[in-house]
Amino acid sequence: MILIGELSLWVALLMAAWSATVSFAGGQMRRSDLVASGERALYATFAFVVLASIGLWTALLTSDFSLRFVASYTSSNLPAVYKFSAFWGGQAGSMLFWCLILALYSAITLFANRRTNRELMPFVTGTLAAILIFFLATTAFGANPYARLDWIPPDGTGLNPQLQNPGMAIHPPNLYLGYVATSVPFAFAIAALITRRLDAEWLAAVRRWSLVSWLFLTIGITLGMWWAYVELGWGGYWAWDPVENASLLPWLTGTAFLHSIMIQEKRGMLRKWNVTLVVATFLLAILGTFITRSGVIESVHSFAQSPIGSWFAGFLILAIVVTAFLVATRLKDLEAQAELESMVSREAAFLYNNVVLVGIAFSVLWGTLFPIISEAVRGSKITVGAPFFNTVNIPLGLLLLGLTGVGPLIAWRRASVANLKRQFAVPVAGGLVLGAAFFALGMRDGYALVSYTLAGFVTTTIAQEFVKGVGARRRIHGEAIPIALLRLIGRNRRRYGGYIVHFGIVVLFAAFAGLAFKKEYDLSLTPGSSFTALDPYNRSWTFTSQGVSRYEELNRQVTAVVLEAKRPGMAPTLIKSEKRQHVDSRGQPTFEPSTEVGILESLRQDVYLVLHGVTGEETAEIRITFNPLVWWVWYGGIIMAIGGLIVMWPQATRSRSGRREGGYVVVMQPAAERPPVEAGV
Amino acid sequence: MASRREFMMALGGTLVAVGARQVIGQQGAEAPGASMEGDGYIPVRRLPRPAAAKRLTPLERDAVERMISCPCPCTLDVFTCRTSMPCGFSPRLHADVVALANGGYSADEILAAFEQSYGEKILMAPHKQGFNWVGWLAPFAAVGGGAFVVGALIRRWGSRAAERRATSSVPVDGSDDEMAQLEAAVRGDDR
Repeated sequence: MILIGELSLWVALLMAAWSATVSFAGGQMRRSDLVASGERALYATFAFVVLASIGLWTALLTSDFSLRFVASYTSSNLPAVYKFSAFWGGQAGSMLFWCLILALYSAITLFANRRTNRELMPFVTGTLAAILIFFLATTAFGANPYARLDWIPPDGTGLNPQLQNPGMAIHPPNLYLGYVATSVPFAFAIAALITRRLDAEWLAAVRRWSLVSWLFLTIGITLGMWWAYVELGWGGYWAWDPVENASLLPWLTGTAFLHSIMIQEKRGMLRKWNVTLVVATFLLAILGTFITRSGVIESVHSFAQSPIGSWFAGFLILAIVVTAFLVATRLKDLEAQAELESMVSREAAFLYNNVVLVGIAFSVLWGTLFPIISEAVRGSKITVGAPFFNTVNIPLGLLLLGLTGVGPLIAWRRASVANLKRQFAVPVAGGLVLGAAFFALGMRDGYALVSYTLAGFVTTTIAQEFVKGVGARRRIHGEAIPIALLRLIGRNRRRYGGYIVHFGIVVLFAAFAGLAFKKEYDLSLTPGSSFTALDPYNRSWTFTSQGVSRYEELNRQVTAVVLEAKRPGMAPTLIKSEKRQHVDSRGQPTFEPSTEVGILESLRQDVYLVLHGVTGEETAEIRITFNPLVWWVWYGGIIMAIGGLIVMWPQATRSRSGRREGGYVVVMQPAAERPPVEAGV
Repeated sequence: MASRREFMMALGGTLVAVGARQVIGQQGAEAPGASMEGDGYIPVRRLPRPAAAKRLTPLERDAVERMISCPCPCTLDVFTCRTSMPCGFSPRLHADVVALANGGYSADEILAAFEQSYGEKILMAPHKQGFNWVGWLAPFAAVGGGAFVVGALIRRWGSRAAERRATSSVPVDGSDDEMAQLEAAVRGDDR
């Protein structure tokens, strides 16, 4: 199976090359036989990439240490789940994993569009196959997971302890599913530019894929934050590491696109901007991969420096040149059908939202690359870390949070003063009341106060929209509130799913602001000794050491400290933190010792226990941190994902025939021609 | 007159010379980071000030460590690195910070001492001076510039739309109830 897998990788590359060639030729020459051949070749590429992946998984699970990749990232005593997930734990395997997802998406795209978008599909197929060529070639020539060692070691090096976490099994796949999904909208954009079919057809095709990408990126980023929080060594749930930043970039531009696409759908505007955002999202996903793999920027997450960084740089430049050429030669086809009428309209609010989202993306990218720029200009290295990103992005983030509440309150096209007063009165009051309440309770952190005030404003906005919608349904259909609510969401998933996503953002910001109040204590505890500490809510906690224990597990030696945590009104609870020394099958240490944190979780705060080390026989050197509202980060992510799923869920057939750019048209008849309105209607 | 081949060779030679100077220059630039202990760690020591009136509290000391970048490839600050990874550097840098804090040095003085030994790279964020201002201000300039352009575009589009409305406007005549129904229909709440 391993040999079949190795051969399949090369055959897949040939198939992708054939698919790209005949698809572009078939589309250009309008030869349906070539187009069909290109599509079949892309399906075949998928089948061969699946075989190549099965081959590698077989090698990993059977511990075939003749493969350099298997020997480098697994050991015979590694639990099976981590042998399985080691597939994407190293450079070469993760490249093949990328190919697998891209081939899968390509096959789904072909199947879903076997009867639709036929004008575009040859070029969509060709573009997807071309991207596959790049990734398969980079895998085969630059980072081949099937590369063999000159000799077969008795055991492998094992997987880095930080990667031996359930997060490893789910976080990278989700992130990759998000990154790779940006390829499909990009392929449609290229096809639309080549064919000059830049109406709403391609937009309708890419919207769901953009949502798929956004949803997986959201889930992947949230899971990454959770993993970085529970597994010590990543620097907390967000450390503004270049690789973390790289995942945020396509999420930001993708979010901007999902807003601006509505303006093109409803008003036929922003065509150039939407094409730019789709392309930028894809390029940023590739740039993120380049940053992770090239070694040009130091990162705690990055793979070892390898030559494939230059491959990515070349691909990135080629993609930029091709896209810029296509856009430049089709500017006339990208002219808007309508124009914005007022600064005070939902379109304008969306545009400002786009400015801020893209501005944050720029600031993150800028901060990530500025050390290189500075070195090139000044010749000396600098570090751009969390203090820079927080200083720059917190105000921009709060601005974005405010706009999240403003957008839904303003009417399309043009809002009147009366309309604005009516719409804004309650949300503004809601925000101010919440802010004042927190101030009265003693909160004095400026950013936190602004954050909670805006959170109150946006939450009230969302609540107001739901209340209005439910009220309208109750008036018109006489439905009970729960039924009206469910039908309101079900019949208008994009709008109300979007509000749920907005609420998730609010929860996330509330959680981020909570971090301003965290409290930390460093202490040494001998068995039986206690320490009393105040949490951010001024409640007194007592921690008593239950002693230090040492024992062995499957592939590690463990030193653990257990504390009993007590506070008035709560039953005593035990928290454990471990120091782990991973060993190979001969009992030899493999990596630096790692730390497993102990967490006592609640909605209000986490009690976070870290064992630094043990002095003497039994004295535990530990750090206790009270982290307020951390769970809200995960809940915020979950709410956003649920909202995204609602938005993505297919609407009933209604809109299929009526989908067109420009949206609805309302015709008001002159009063004289209108039939009389019946009372109670 | 030089042939194309000679020209290319001369150009190549020049590039090699420039590249070599760059490499030498970089090595020179790394001088502040030259190791006293062979691995890039430079002890940052100062004589204690016995008469210092105020010592940093542990929390203030942690805040200083959060402003110092760990020289290992983690990209984290010393505080976060030593309390989470920890690498071979952060505990030693922490010890230096503790010694300086106990010696009566202020947060700014400790940061300056580290910068003197390691260069500006040791700080988690660049100073707000000189070329670094480009780094600090570019994001705000980008958002401000973007907002200005969008505002100008909307104003221009708006005036054109107003002209069109002036020539072809249809007055809307509807009661409040009718307008509310229309709004609900437009929102899709009535389906």
